[in-house]
Amino acid sequence: MNKTLTITIAISLIILSNIGQAHFQLLYTPESALNQAQSTEIALVFSHPFHNGYPMSMGTPLEFYVIQDRGESIPTKTTDLREYLQPVTWTNSDNQQAASFVAKLPRAITRSIGDYSFVLVPEPYYEEPEDKYIQQYTRTMINIGGVPGSWDKPLGLPVEIVPLDKPYANWVGGVFRGVVIANGKPVPNAEIEIEYLNHEPLIDQAMFDPNGKIEAPQGSFGTMSIRANDRGEVTIGLPKAGWWGICALDLDDGETYNGKDLSVDAVLWVRAYAP
Amino acid sequence: MNKIILTTALVACFSLPAWGHTPICDCYNNGDDTITCEGGFSDGGSAAGIAMSIVDASGKVLIQGKMSEYSDYTFDTPKSNFRVVYQAGDGHVIEIDSRDIEE
Repeated sequence: MNKTLTITIAISLIILSNIGQAHFQLLYTPESALNQAQSTEIALVFSHPFHNGYPMSMGTPLEFYVIQDRGESIPTKTTDLREYLQPVTWTNSDNQQAASFVAKLPRAITRSIGDYSFVLVPEPYYEEPEDKYIQQYTRTMINIGGVPGSWDKPLGLPVEIVPLDKPYANWVGGVFRGVVIANGKPVPNAEIEIEYLNHEPLIDQAMFDPNGKIEAPQGSFGTMSIRANDRGEVTIGLPKAGWWGICALDLDDGETYNGKDLSVDAVLWVRAYAP
Repeated sequence: MNKIILTTALVACFSLPAWGHTPICDCYNNGDDTITCEGGFSDGGSAAGIAMSIVDASGKVLIQGKMSEYSDYTFDTPKSNFRVVYQAGDGHVIEIDSRDIEE
């Protein structure tokens, strides 16, 4: 077997192994429901969270901020977090590496009680096998103290999944519901992918835990492809503690980037806790 | 029978506001000799107007005030240990020890 053929087969295997694994923008912090304020660590990694698939290199985020509020009458506060971004090389168990980011936020950022929506607008990622770009508007929520804020309101992003349940406070065995919207309007029958964050990110080591928490009985279970209903609503079950990612795909109206198709996706992370 | 069910249902409805939410309060040190406390309820209800007391170890009231329209209250840090008392009604009192208040 000559060298060219070997390389071709190797590349094909990597591409084939990627089929059935969804791309998910991680905006990860270990806990979503905290009793007291503390400094917060966040990992920004573009990867395949169920399969510990190879991470993909990110460009410098276009936007990275947090929206904070609590109660009924308190104005929201938005804080730009880009100054806290530290570039890291993220590694999976197969020693595949990708440019990623970690943000270690001082306690002062998250010392008030209430809701926090972390928002990431990444630079579009070029997906070579499909010859297109992917950009995932990503939201991860935490709450400190238990006073809710405007968790159920849209953030005003071009595309987003608006929660109908608090993304940070869910029991295992419950369901989470949200509405997929683009430009402020629900997207009927939106194409949805669901993945469980099966390999816990180890932020200090910039890697995923090589040991997954669960095994998929068959290919359909790693990335679960479903549809929103005719009102754009999506409901997912939460059978296991940890983070569940919901991604609504290709919500743009024929957008392009660098002359190629751009898939503008909305990602929302939901945390379940065991009783 | 129907009357009993109706009465029970009504009692349940009118009782709910009393135990349908939990009072919450937390404080932080601003680093400038002042402390800010923030309050609220687990249902998102406002804490505006709720009485705040700062008491010393013997229970003597050092400072008294109320939560602002933004459900917060800032006071000058007393020189010795103290407790913050958030008085959101019967069964809805939270006390925070000064030694648990961080910057």
